[in-house]
Amino acid sequence: MSIDLSIFTNYGPQLLLGFWMTIKIVVAAIILGMPFGLVLALGRRSRFVFIRLLASSFIEIFRNTPFIIQVFMFFYVLPFYGLYLPAEYVGVVALAAFGSAYFAEVIRGGIDAVAKGQLESARATGMSDWQAMRYIVLPQTLPIILPAMTNQTLSLVKESAILSTITVGELTMAAITVQGETFRPFEAFIMVALLYWALNETLAIIMRRVERKVSKRSSGGSRAVPAVSAVKDG
Amino acid sequence: MAMDTGKMSNFLEMTGLVKTFTGATALQDVSLNVAKGEVVCLIGPSGCGKSTLLRTANWLTPADAGEVRLDGELVGTMPDQRSASKQAKGLNAVRARIGMVFQNFNVWPHLNVLENVVCPQMVVAKRSRNEAEKKALVALSEVGLEDKKSEWPDNLSGGQKQRLAIARVLAMDPDLMLLDEPTSALDPELVSGVLAVLKRLAEKNMTMIIVTHELGFASSVADRIVFLEGGHIIEQGPPDVILQSPATERLKLFLDKLNITAFQPKSD
Ligand SMILES: Nc1ncnc2c1ncn2[C@@H]1O[C@H](COP(=O)(O)OP(=O)(O)O)[C@@H](O)[C@H]1O
Ligand SMILES: [Mg+2]
Repeated sequence: MSIDLSIFTNYGPQLLLGFWMTIKIVVAAIILGMPFGLVLALGRRSRFVFIRLLASSFIEIFRNTPFIIQVFMFFYVLPFYGLYLPAEYVGVVALAAFGSAYFAEVIRGGIDAVAKGQLESARATGMSDWQAMRYIVLPQTLPIILPAMTNQTLSLVKESAILSTITVGELTMAAITVQGETFRPFEAFIMVALLYWALNETLAIIMRRVERKVSKRSSGGSRAVPAVSAVKDG
Repeated sequence: MAMDTGKMSNFLEMTGLVKTFTGATALQDVSLNVAKGEVVCLIGPSGCGKSTLLRTANWLTPADAGEVRLDGELVGTMPDQRSASKQAKGLNAVRARIGMVFQNFNVWPHLNVLENVVCPQMVVAKRSRNEAEKKALVALSEVGLEDKKSEWPDNLSGGQKQRLAIARVLAMDPDLMLLDEPTSALDPELVSGVLAVLKRLAEKNMTMIIVTHELGFASSVADRIVFLEGGHIIEQGPPDVILQSPATERLKLFLDKLNITAFQPKSD
Protein backbone atom coordinates (compact mmCIF):
# COMPACT_ATOMS: atom_id res chain seq x y z
CA MET A 1 0.00 0.00 0.00
CA SER A 2 1.51 3.29 -1.05
CA ILE A 3 0.93 6.50 0.80
CA ASP A 4 -0.60 9.35 -1.13
CA LEU A 5 1.14 12.39 0.32
CA SER A 6 -0.99 14.83 -1.66
CA ILE A 7 -3.86 14.09 0.70
CA PHE A 8 -1.92 15.69 3.56
CA THR A 9 -1.42 18.90 1.61
CA ASN A 10 -4.88 18.98 -0.02
CA TYR A 11 -6.93 18.03 3.00
CA GLY A 12 -4.57 19.20 5.77
CA PRO A 13 -6.42 22.49 6.36
CA GLN A 14 -9.75 20.66 6.66
CA LEU A 15 -8.31 18.26 9.23
CA LEU A 16 -6.72 21.10 11.18
CA LEU A 17 -10.08 22.84 11.30
CA GLY A 18 -11.57 19.71 12.85
CA PHE A 19 -8.61 19.54 15.21
CA TRP A 20 -9.26 23.11 16.30
CA MET A 21 -12.92 22.26 16.93
CA THR A 22 -11.87 19.28 19.09
CA ILE A 23 -9.60 21.51 21.15
CA LYS A 24 -12.34 24.10 21.65
CA ILE A 25 -14.91 21.50 22.68
CA VAL A 26 -12.60 19.71 25.10
CA VAL A 27 -11.43 22.96 26.70
CA ALA A 28 -15.02 24.15 27.12
CA ALA A 29 -16.03 20.78 28.56
CA ILE A 30 -13.19 20.95 31.09
CA ILE A 31 -13.99 24.54 32.06
CA LEU A 32 -17.59 23.47 32.74
CA GLY A 33 -16.93 19.93 33.94
CA MET A 34 -14.25 20.47 36.59
CA PRO A 35 -16.14 23.04 38.69
CA PHE A 36 -19.29 20.99 38.29
CA GLY A 37 -17.36 17.90 39.36
CA LEU A 38 -16.32 19.80 42.50
CA VAL A 39 -19.95 20.74 43.13
CA LEU A 40 -20.95 17.08 42.74
CA ALA A 41 -18.17 15.92 45.08
CA LEU A 42 -19.22 18.45 47.72
CA GLY A 43 -22.88 17.59 47.09
CA ARG A 44 -22.14 13.98 47.95
CA ARG A 45 -21.13 15.04 51.46
CA SER A 46 -23.91 17.61 51.96
CA ARG A 47 -25.85 17.43 55.22
CA PHE A 48 -29.08 17.37 53.20
CA VAL A 49 -30.12 13.89 52.10
CA PHE A 50 -31.83 15.19 48.98
CA ILE A 51 -28.68 16.89 47.69
CA ARG A 52 -26.56 13.83 48.52
CA LEU A 53 -28.98 11.63 46.61
CA LEU A 54 -29.11 13.96 43.62
CA ALA A 55 -25.32 14.21 43.38
CA SER A 56 -24.67 10.51 43.74
CA SER A 57 -27.41 9.55 41.25
CA PHE A 58 -25.94 11.92 38.69
CA ILE A 59 -22.45 10.51 39.21
CA GLU A 60 -23.60 6.88 39.07
CA ILE A 61 -25.71 7.36 35.94
CA PHE A 62 -23.01 9.13 33.97
CA ARG A 63 -20.29 6.73 35.06
CA ASN A 64 -22.25 3.58 34.38
CA THR A 65 -23.81 4.18 30.98
CA PRO A 66 -22.04 4.31 27.59
CA PHE A 67 -20.98 7.80 26.57
CA ILE A 68 -22.44 7.34 23.11
CA ILE A 69 -25.88 6.72 24.64
CA GLN A 70 -25.52 9.86 26.77
CA VAL A 71 -24.63 11.84 23.65
CA PHE A 72 -27.70 10.51 21.81
CA MET A 73 -29.87 11.33 24.79
CA PHE A 74 -28.68 14.92 24.84
CA PHE A 75 -28.87 15.24 21.06
CA TYR A 76 -32.24 13.65 20.38
CA VAL A 77 -34.06 14.14 23.66
CA LEU A 78 -33.35 17.82 24.38
CA PRO A 79 -35.23 19.05 21.24
CA PHE A 80 -38.14 16.91 22.38
CA TYR A 81 -38.40 19.29 25.33
CA GLY A 82 -38.11 22.32 23.09
CA LEU A 83 -34.41 22.89 23.65
CA TYR A 84 -32.67 23.31 20.28
CA LEU A 85 -28.93 23.69 20.58
CA PRO A 86 -26.31 23.53 17.80
CA ALA A 87 -24.58 20.14 17.74
CA GLU A 88 -21.29 21.61 19.05
CA TYR A 89 -23.05 22.96 22.16
CA VAL A 90 -24.78 19.65 22.76
CA GLY A 91 -21.37 18.03 22.42
CA VAL A 92 -19.82 20.35 25.00
CA VAL A 93 -22.67 19.75 27.45
CA ALA A 94 -22.55 15.97 27.01
CA LEU A 95 -18.77 15.84 27.38
CA ALA A 96 -18.86 18.15 30.42
CA ALA A 97 -21.57 16.08 32.13
CA PHE A 98 -19.72 12.84 31.44
CA GLY A 99 -16.40 14.33 32.57
CA SER A 100 -17.83 15.92 35.71
CA ALA A 101 -19.00 12.55 37.04
CA TYR A 102 -15.45 11.20 36.80
CA PHE A 103 -13.87 14.41 38.09
CA ALA A 104 -16.26 14.26 41.07
CA GLU A 105 -15.09 10.78 42.02
CA VAL A 106 -11.45 11.79 41.76
CA ILE A 107 -12.04 14.89 43.90
CA ARG A 108 -13.97 12.87 46.46
CA GLY A 109 -11.10 10.41 46.72
CA GLY A 110 -8.73 13.32 47.25
CA ILE A 111 -10.88 14.79 50.01
CA ASP A 112 -11.03 11.40 51.73
CA ALA A 113 -7.25 11.10 51.52
CA VAL A 114 -6.69 14.26 53.56
CA ALA A 115 -6.44 13.34 57.24
CA LYS A 116 -9.72 13.77 59.11
CA GLY A 117 -8.00 15.92 61.74
CA GLN A 118 -7.38 18.61 59.12
CA LEU A 119 -11.09 19.22 58.62
CA GLU A 120 -11.78 18.90 62.35
CA SER A 121 -9.11 21.38 63.38
CA ALA A 122 -10.44 23.85 60.81
CA ARG A 123 -14.02 23.43 62.01
CA ALA A 124 -12.82 23.84 65.61
CA THR A 125 -11.58 27.36 64.82
CA GLY A 126 -15.13 28.29 63.80
CA MET A 127 -14.83 27.82 60.04
CA SER A 128 -17.98 26.72 58.23
CA ASP A 129 -17.84 23.43 56.38
CA TRP A 130 -17.31 25.27 53.10
CA GLN A 131 -14.58 27.53 54.54
CA ALA A 132 -12.77 24.51 55.99
CA MET A 133 -12.95 22.84 52.57
CA ARG A 134 -11.91 25.96 50.69
CA TYR A 135 -8.94 26.99 52.84
CA ILE A 136 -7.73 23.80 54.51
CA VAL A 137 -8.84 20.58 52.82
CA LEU A 138 -9.10 21.31 49.08
CA PRO A 139 -5.64 22.93 48.80
CA GLN A 140 -4.18 19.72 50.25
CA THR A 141 -6.34 17.67 47.89
CA LEU A 142 -4.88 19.32 44.80
CA PRO A 143 -1.50 17.57 44.64
CA ILE A 144 -3.21 14.26 45.42
CA ILE A 145 -5.77 14.46 42.62
CA LEU A 146 -3.75 16.08 39.83
CA PRO A 147 -2.42 12.84 38.28
CA ALA A 148 -5.90 11.28 38.17
CA MET A 149 -7.43 14.53 36.92
CA THR A 150 -4.87 14.50 34.10
CA ASN A 151 -5.85 10.96 33.16
CA GLN A 152 -9.52 11.91 33.07
CA THR A 153 -8.73 14.92 30.90
CA LEU A 154 -6.79 12.76 28.44
CA SER A 155 -9.68 10.33 28.23
CA LEU A 156 -12.09 13.22 27.55
CA VAL A 157 -9.99 14.10 24.51
CA LYS A 158 -10.37 10.56 23.25
CA GLU A 159 -14.08 10.33 24.08
CA SER A 160 -14.73 13.55 22.17
CA ALA A 161 -14.33 11.49 18.96
CA ILE A 162 -17.78 10.06 19.65
CA LEU A 163 -19.28 13.51 19.05
CA SER A 164 -18.73 12.84 15.32
CA THR A 165 -21.85 10.67 15.54
CA ILE A 166 -24.02 13.75 16.15
CA THR A 167 -22.52 15.75 13.26
CA VAL A 168 -20.12 17.84 15.32
CA GLY A 169 -17.39 18.97 12.90
CA GLU A 170 -14.52 17.86 15.09
CA LEU A 171 -11.39 15.94 14.21
CA THR A 172 -12.87 12.46 13.73
CA MET A 173 -15.73 13.89 11.68
CA ALA A 174 -13.18 15.66 9.48
CA ALA A 175 -11.31 12.40 8.98
CA ILE A 176 -14.48 10.59 8.00
CA THR A 177 -15.30 13.31 5.49
CA VAL A 178 -11.81 13.26 3.98
CA GLN A 179 -11.91 9.50 3.78
CA GLY A 180 -15.27 9.68 2.02
CA GLU A 181 -14.02 12.14 -0.55
CA THR A 182 -10.66 10.51 -1.24
CA PHE A 183 -11.32 6.83 -0.52
CA ARG A 184 -7.93 6.85 1.25
CA PRO A 185 -8.81 5.79 4.82
CA PHE A 186 -5.22 5.04 5.82
CA GLU A 187 -3.92 8.56 5.17
CA ALA A 188 -6.95 10.22 6.70
CA PHE A 189 -7.01 8.20 9.90
CA ILE A 190 -3.24 8.04 10.48
CA MET A 191 -3.16 11.82 10.30
CA VAL A 192 -6.01 12.08 12.81
CA ALA A 193 -4.48 9.54 15.17
CA LEU A 194 -1.24 11.53 15.16
CA LEU A 195 -3.11 14.73 15.97
CA TYR A 196 -4.96 13.15 18.94
CA TRP A 197 -1.69 11.70 20.16
CA ALA A 198 0.09 15.06 19.85
CA LEU A 199 -2.68 16.82 21.75
CA ASN A 200 -2.68 14.33 24.62
CA GLU A 201 1.09 14.19 24.80
CA THR A 202 1.20 17.99 25.04
CA LEU A 203 -1.47 18.00 27.75
CA ALA A 204 0.36 15.30 29.69
CA ILE A 205 3.64 17.23 29.59
CA ILE A 206 1.95 20.45 30.75
CA MET A 207 0.13 18.67 33.57
CA ARG A 208 3.31 16.95 34.77
CA ARG A 209 4.89 20.40 35.07
CA VAL A 210 1.90 21.69 37.02
CA GLU A 211 2.01 18.62 39.29
CA ARG A 212 5.64 19.26 40.14
CA LYS A 213 4.96 22.93 40.85
CA VAL A 214 1.92 22.24 43.01
CA SER A 215 3.51 19.54 45.14
CA LYS A 216 6.58 21.73 45.67
CA ARG A 217 4.55 24.78 46.65
CA SER A 218 2.15 22.93 48.91
CA SER A 219 4.77 21.71 51.34
CA GLY A 220 7.99 23.61 51.13
CA GLY A 221 9.82 21.01 49.11
CA SER A 222 8.92 17.86 51.01
CA ARG A 223 5.87 15.64 50.93
CA ALA A 224 2.56 17.40 50.46
CA VAL A 225 0.37 15.20 52.61
CA PRO A 226 0.92 14.72 56.32
CA ALA A 227 1.57 11.19 57.43
CA VAL A 228 -2.06 10.35 58.11
CA SER A 229 -2.43 10.84 61.86
CA ALA A 230 0.55 8.81 62.93
CA VAL A 231 -0.83 8.99 66.44
CA LYS A 232 -4.09 7.31 67.25
CA ASP A 233 -6.32 8.98 69.80
CA GLY A 234 -6.38 6.97 72.98
CA MET B 1 -23.30 11.17 88.55
CA ALA B 2 -21.35 14.39 88.54
CA MET B 3 -20.60 16.22 91.72
CA ASP B 4 -20.88 19.96 91.61
CA THR B 5 -17.98 21.78 93.18
CA GLY B 6 -20.21 24.76 93.76
CA LYS B 7 -18.28 27.34 91.76
CA MET B 8 -19.83 30.80 91.83
CA SER B 9 -19.83 31.59 88.13
CA ASN B 10 -20.23 28.83 85.62
CA PHE B 11 -18.54 29.99 82.47
CA LEU B 12 -18.74 26.69 80.65
CA GLU B 13 -21.76 24.58 81.55
CA MET B 14 -21.93 21.01 80.34
CA THR B 15 -25.12 19.39 81.51
CA GLY B 16 -26.38 15.82 81.35
CA LEU B 17 -24.19 14.76 78.45
CA VAL B 18 -24.74 11.31 77.00
CA LYS B 19 -22.84 9.90 74.06
CA THR B 20 -23.06 6.41 72.66
CA PHE B 21 -21.02 5.14 69.75
CA THR B 22 -22.02 1.93 68.02
CA GLY B 23 -21.07 -0.64 70.61
CA ALA B 24 -19.53 1.74 73.14
CA THR B 25 -21.00 4.22 75.59
CA ALA B 26 -18.49 7.03 75.92
CA LEU B 27 -20.42 9.41 78.22
CA GLN B 28 -23.17 8.45 80.65
CA ASP B 29 -24.90 11.56 81.93
CA VAL B 30 -21.83 13.69 82.58
CA SER B 31 -22.15 17.25 83.89
CA LEU B 32 -19.19 19.56 84.29
CA ASN B 33 -19.05 23.27 84.99
CA VAL B 34 -15.94 25.35 84.56
CA ALA B 35 -15.49 28.84 85.96
CA LYS B 36 -13.81 31.70 84.11
CA GLY B 37 -10.05 31.49 84.62
CA GLU B 38 -10.22 27.97 85.97
CA VAL B 39 -7.87 25.22 84.82
CA VAL B 40 -9.43 21.75 84.87
CA CYS B 41 -7.38 18.64 84.17
CA LEU B 42 -9.19 15.50 83.02
CA ILE B 43 -7.56 12.22 83.95
CA GLY B 44 -8.65 8.63 83.59
CA PRO B 45 -7.79 5.35 81.90
CA SER B 46 -7.71 5.01 78.11
CA GLY B 47 -11.20 4.78 76.60
CA CYS B 48 -12.96 6.29 79.63
CA GLY B 49 -14.42 9.17 77.60
CA LYS B 50 -11.94 12.02 78.16
CA SER B 51 -11.61 12.92 74.50
CA THR B 52 -15.33 12.55 73.93
CA LEU B 53 -16.13 14.88 76.81
CA LEU B 54 -13.63 17.45 75.54
CA ARG B 55 -15.01 17.19 72.02
CA THR B 56 -18.59 17.72 73.12
CA ALA B 57 -17.45 21.00 74.73
CA ASN B 58 -17.19 22.58 71.26
CA TRP B 59 -19.71 20.15 69.76
CA LEU B 60 -17.10 18.63 67.45
CA THR B 61 -18.71 15.45 68.72
CA PRO B 62 -22.43 16.18 69.12
CA ALA B 63 -23.86 14.54 72.23
CA ASP B 64 -26.96 12.32 72.07
CA ALA B 65 -28.50 14.14 75.03
CA GLY B 66 -27.65 17.11 77.23
CA GLU B 67 -26.41 20.56 76.40
CA VAL B 68 -23.34 22.76 76.44
CA ARG B 69 -23.35 26.50 77.10
CA LEU B 70 -20.49 28.98 77.06
CA ASP B 71 -21.14 32.19 78.94
CA GLY B 72 -24.86 31.40 78.74
CA GLU B 73 -24.69 31.03 74.97
CA LEU B 74 -25.83 27.71 73.54
CA VAL B 75 -22.99 25.70 71.97
CA GLY B 76 -25.01 22.59 71.29
CA THR B 77 -27.95 20.61 72.54
CA MET B 78 -29.77 17.45 71.64
CA PRO B 79 -32.50 17.47 70.54
CA ASP B 80 -31.95 20.83 68.89
CA GLN B 81 -35.07 22.80 67.95
CA ARG B 82 -33.21 25.44 65.95
CA SER B 83 -33.19 25.29 62.15
CA ALA B 84 -30.11 23.66 60.66
CA SER B 85 -28.70 26.94 59.34
CA LYS B 86 -29.23 28.79 62.66
CA GLN B 87 -27.59 25.90 64.44
CA ALA B 88 -24.56 25.98 62.17
CA LYS B 89 -24.17 29.76 62.37
CA GLY B 90 -24.47 29.90 66.14
CA LEU B 91 -22.08 27.01 66.54
CA ASN B 92 -19.41 28.52 64.28
CA ALA B 93 -19.63 31.84 66.13
CA VAL B 94 -19.20 30.26 69.54
CA ARG B 95 -16.45 27.93 68.31
CA ALA B 96 -14.45 31.01 67.32
CA ARG B 97 -14.24 31.74 71.07
CA ILE B 98 -13.06 28.21 71.93
CA GLY B 99 -9.60 27.05 70.96
CA MET B 100 -8.83 23.36 70.55
CA VAL B 101 -5.43 21.69 70.64
CA PHE B 102 -5.19 18.10 69.43
CA GLN B 103 -2.96 15.22 70.42
CA ASN B 104 -1.56 14.92 66.91
CA PHE B 105 -1.21 18.70 66.40
CA ASN B 106 -3.24 19.00 63.20
CA VAL B 107 -1.14 21.85 61.89
CA TRP B 108 -1.96 22.64 58.27
CA PRO B 109 0.93 21.38 56.12
CA HIS B 110 0.08 23.43 53.02
CA LEU B 111 0.47 26.71 54.92
CA ASN B 112 3.72 27.97 56.41
CA VAL B 113 3.99 28.70 60.13
CA LEU B 114 2.84 32.32 59.91
CA GLU B 115 -0.05 31.48 57.56
CA ASN B 116 -1.25 28.71 59.89
CA VAL B 117 -1.82 31.39 62.50
CA VAL B 118 -3.08 34.05 60.08
CA CYS B 119 -5.63 31.89 58.23
CA PRO B 120 -8.39 31.43 60.85
CA GLN B 121 -8.04 35.04 61.94
CA MET B 122 -8.81 36.26 58.43
CA VAL B 123 -11.40 33.63 57.55
CA VAL B 124 -13.27 33.41 60.85
CA ALA B 125 -12.51 36.60 62.78
CA LYS B 126 -12.54 38.67 59.55
CA ARG B 127 -9.37 40.53 60.49
CA SER B 128 -7.33 42.36 57.86
CA ARG B 129 -4.10 40.67 56.78
CA ASN B 130 -2.13 43.41 58.49
CA GLU B 131 -3.84 42.96 61.81
CA ALA B 132 -3.80 39.16 61.54
CA GLU B 133 -0.05 39.10 60.86
CA LYS B 134 0.64 41.38 63.80
CA LYS B 135 -1.43 39.16 66.10
CA ALA B 136 0.19 36.05 64.67
CA LEU B 137 3.68 37.34 65.44
CA VAL B 138 2.69 38.10 69.02
CA ALA B 139 1.18 34.62 69.41
CA LEU B 140 4.23 32.96 67.81
CA SER B 141 6.60 34.78 70.15
CA GLU B 142 4.48 33.70 73.10
CA VAL B 143 5.22 30.08 72.19
CA GLY B 144 8.81 30.78 71.17
CA LEU B 145 8.40 30.28 67.42
CA GLU B 146 8.89 33.82 66.12
CA ASP B 147 12.08 32.83 64.29
CA LYS B 148 10.25 29.97 62.52
CA LYS B 149 7.55 32.08 60.94
CA SER B 150 8.58 31.33 57.33
CA GLU B 151 9.21 27.65 58.00
CA TRP B 152 6.96 24.85 56.72
CA PRO B 153 5.23 22.71 59.36
CA ASP B 154 6.82 19.55 57.94
CA ASN B 155 10.22 20.91 58.97
CA LEU B 156 9.22 21.45 62.61
CA SER B 157 9.76 19.03 65.49
CA GLY B 158 6.70 17.60 67.23
CA GLY B 159 7.08 20.04 70.10
CA GLN B 160 7.30 22.97 67.70
CA LYS B 161 4.23 21.72 65.81
CA GLN B 162 2.25 21.57 69.03
CA ARG B 163 3.41 25.06 70.01
CA LEU B 164 2.36 26.27 66.56
CA ALA B 165 -1.08 24.72 67.13
CA ILE B 166 -1.27 26.59 70.45
CA ALA B 167 -0.24 29.87 68.79
CA ARG B 168 -2.94 29.35 66.15
CA VAL B 169 -5.48 29.11 68.95
CA LEU B 170 -4.07 32.03 70.98
CA ALA B 171 -4.21 34.44 68.05
CA MET B 172 -7.99 34.05 68.04
CA ASP B 173 -8.16 35.45 71.62
CA PRO B 174 -10.03 32.42 72.94
CA ASP B 175 -12.20 32.55 76.06
CA LEU B 176 -11.66 28.85 76.58
CA MET B 177 -9.03 26.37 75.49
CA LEU B 178 -9.54 22.62 75.15
CA LEU B 179 -6.40 20.50 75.03
CA ASP B 180 -6.52 16.75 74.34
CA GLU B 181 -3.32 15.10 75.56
CA PRO B 182 -1.18 17.88 74.10
CA THR B 183 2.11 16.13 74.94
CA SER B 184 1.25 12.45 74.46
CA ALA B 185 2.59 12.31 70.91
CA LEU B 186 5.86 14.03 71.78
CA ASP B 187 9.30 12.60 72.37
CA PRO B 188 10.07 12.93 76.10
CA GLU B 189 12.64 15.71 75.65
CA LEU B 190 10.08 17.90 73.82
CA VAL B 191 7.34 17.65 76.45
CA SER B 192 8.65 20.29 78.85
CA GLY B 193 8.66 23.08 76.25
CA VAL B 194 4.97 22.60 75.55
CA LEU B 195 4.08 22.26 79.23
CA ALA B 196 5.97 25.49 80.01
CA VAL B 197 3.82 27.34 77.47
CA LEU B 198 0.65 25.92 79.06
CA LYS B 199 1.86 26.86 82.54
CA ARG B 200 2.35 30.47 81.45
CA LEU B 201 -1.18 30.48 80.04
CA ALA B 202 -2.55 29.13 83.31
CA GLU B 203 -0.74 31.89 85.19
CA LYS B 204 -2.38 34.42 82.87
CA ASN B 205 -5.76 33.01 83.92
CA MET B 206 -6.64 31.36 80.65
CA THR B 207 -9.65 29.08 81.13
CA MET B 208 -8.56 25.60 80.11
CA ILE B 209 -9.66 22.00 80.11
CA ILE B 210 -6.64 19.76 79.66
CA VAL B 211 -6.71 16.00 79.17
CA THR B 212 -3.36 14.77 80.43
CA HIS B 213 -1.45 11.86 81.87
CA GLU B 214 1.26 14.17 83.26
CA LEU B 215 0.21 14.15 86.91
CA GLY B 216 3.09 16.39 88.02
CA PHE B 217 2.04 18.98 85.49
CA ALA B 218 -1.63 18.58 86.43
CA SER B 219 -0.94 19.11 90.09
CA SER B 220 1.02 22.29 89.38
CA VAL B 221 -1.42 24.01 86.96
CA ALA B 222 -4.86 22.60 87.76
CA ASP B 223 -7.38 24.29 90.00
CA ARG B 224 -9.35 21.09 89.82
CA ILE B 225 -8.68 17.56 88.68
CA VAL B 226 -11.56 15.49 87.32
CA PHE B 227 -11.24 11.71 87.27
CA LEU B 228 -13.33 9.91 84.68
CA GLU B 229 -13.93 6.22 84.30
CA GLY B 230 -16.39 4.29 82.17
CA GLY B 231 -18.06 7.47 80.96
CA HIS B 232 -18.72 8.74 84.50
CA ILE B 233 -17.08 11.41 86.60
CA ILE B 234 -15.94 9.32 89.57
CA GLU B 235 -14.21 11.96 91.62
CA GLN B 236 -13.11 15.57 91.36
CA GLY B 237 -11.45 18.18 93.50
CA PRO B 238 -8.27 20.21 94.09
CA PRO B 239 -5.07 18.47 92.91
CA ASP B 240 -3.61 17.82 96.36
CA VAL B 241 -6.78 16.12 97.55
CA ILE B 242 -7.28 14.09 94.40
CA LEU B 243 -3.65 13.02 94.05
CA GLN B 244 -2.71 12.62 97.75
CA SER B 245 -5.89 11.26 99.27
CA PRO B 246 -8.23 9.80 96.69
CA ALA B 247 -11.63 8.92 98.11
CA THR B 248 -12.54 6.08 95.76
CA GLU B 249 -10.89 2.75 95.25
CA ARG B 250 -10.95 3.20 91.47
CA LEU B 251 -8.99 6.44 91.55
CA LYS B 252 -6.49 4.86 93.97
CA LEU B 253 -5.97 1.97 91.56
CA PHE B 254 -5.59 4.32 88.61
CA LEU B 255 -3.02 6.47 90.38
CA ASP B 256 -1.06 3.42 91.54
CA LYS B 257 -0.89 2.11 88.00
CA LEU B 258 0.23 5.47 86.62
CA ASN B 259 2.92 5.82 89.27
CA ILE B 260 4.28 2.38 88.48
CA THR B 261 4.26 2.81 84.73
CA ALA B 262 5.67 6.31 84.95
CA PHE B 263 9.15 4.85 85.33
CA GLN B 264 8.78 2.32 82.54
CA PRO B 265 9.08 2.96 78.82
CA LYS B 266 5.69 3.87 77.37
CA SER B 267 4.04 0.90 75.73
CA ASP B 268 1.18 2.69 74.02
N1 LIG C 1 -15.50 7.97 66.68
C1 LIG C 1 -15.74 6.91 67.48
N2 LIG C 1 -16.38 5.82 67.00
C2 LIG C 1 -16.65 4.77 67.78
N3 LIG C 1 -16.30 4.68 69.06
C3 LIG C 1 -15.65 5.72 69.61
C4 LIG C 1 -15.34 6.89 68.85
N4 LIG C 1 -14.69 7.76 69.65
C5 LIG C 1 -14.61 7.17 70.87
N5 LIG C 1 -15.18 5.95 70.84
C6 LIG C 1 -15.30 5.03 72.00
O1 LIG C 1 -15.80 5.76 73.08
C7 LIG C 1 -15.11 5.44 74.27
C8 LIG C 1 -14.44 6.68 74.85
O2 LIG C 1 -13.41 7.10 73.96
P1 LIG C 1 -12.53 8.39 74.22
O3 LIG C 1 -13.40 9.51 74.60
O4 LIG C 1 -11.66 8.56 73.03
O5 LIG C 1 -11.65 7.93 75.48
P2 LIG C 1 -10.30 8.52 76.04
O6 LIG C 1 -10.00 9.81 75.35
O7 LIG C 1 -10.56 8.69 77.49
O8 LIG C 1 -9.25 7.50 75.80
C9 LIG C 1 -14.13 4.35 73.90
O9 LIG C 1 -14.72 3.11 74.20
C10 LIG C 1 -13.96 4.49 72.42
O10 LIG C 1 -13.68 3.25 71.82
MG1 LIG D 1 -8.38 10.42 74.19
